[in-house]
Amino acid sequence: MSKTRLFVAVLSAAFVALMMAPPKASAQTMGYADAIKILAQSCGADINKYCPKANIGNFGIQKCLQANSSKITPQCKTDYVRVYELIRLRHEAQQAVFQICSRDSAQLCSVHSNVRTQNFAGKVPVLRCLLKAERSVGNKCNQAITDAGYR
Amino acid sequence: MKRLILAAAALAVLSLPASAQTPLTRNEIINNLQNVEVHRTQITAEELRQQALDNIRLHPGDDATTDLPAESELARLRQFIVEITFDFDSSRIRPESYESLGLIADALHTVYLGGDRFLVIGHTDAKGAREYNLKLSQRRADAIVEALTTTFNVPANMVVPVGLGEEDLRDPANPYSEVNRRVQLINLGPAQ
Repeated sequence: MSKTRLFVAVLSAAFVALMMAPPKASAQTMGYADAIKILAQSCGADINKYCPKANIGNFGIQKCLQANSSKITPQCKTDYVRVYELIRLRHEAQQAVFQICSRDSAQLCSVHSNVRTQNFAGKVPVLRCLLKAERSVGNKCNQAITDAGYR
Repeated sequence: MKRLILAAAALAVLSLPASAQTPLTRNEIINNLQNVEVHRTQITAEELRQQALDNIRLHPGDDATTDLPAESELARLRQFIVEITFDFDSSRIRPESYESLGLIADALHTVYLGGDRFLVIGHTDAKGAREYNLKLSQRRADAIVEALTTTFNVPANMVVPVGLGEEDLRDPANPYSEVNRRVQLINLGPAQ
């Protein structure tokens, strides 16, 4: 391969990598099912062995694995921390959506965004509107909606 | 019931071997639960619990044999059946069901279901005492709702736990069949 062709190849590889990279501002999140599946796979045996009284609700399994961190397998130890970090990131993304999308909401969905309620049900009409207007909505807002798992 | 699962059955009822079952997906849950405009209901969780208690009182016996008054009304609503497995005699959800819980959470967080209110109904088969089954299924439905609303951040006003024990059998002709053990999600319409 000539130097020029190599250069072109490297350049295109870099370009592809750039295109595939997520936008800077976004947190990388994962759906709850994909995240918690990792916990079941890596920690299922440890959970049944060391947490026979703990339940998945109220972060009971997380607390139990923390308390037993010296006994659980290294794979489980690595993965449970990652899983709960992923879950935390998703909660955080859900908190952030309406702030990140405030301008898009005002511009594109003002009919729906006069709802003062803070609960999720009250915000769903705005979200539905933003989803319909996806092509006019800014990248950051679209990414925030994706990261929150609302799409 | 004395078995360890509140199991399920959309597929089991067709008597398919386990290998023929397709894995549950988020979109399957959404597709079966959305578009509540088709049917609305005024039925509340309290009424359902009361109907289950009344069913035991008015029609005593080892096994439930009568339908709940709400049965036909419930059957008209958008709903989906999920398999969640528990420890024997316990409301502890087993790790193999975490993914199903996560899929329910993922579905409830989307704009397609977001803001609607859902009954999360636990059912048992007819093995064991009816009062006991009623209490165990309520504890199990509570555990599911607790997981959804804490670890999986589903808004608390979207999910209402109800245990119906063996009072609403899916297959009354085979009261001990595992198709009766199931978790039923029913869309009641907008939460507000």
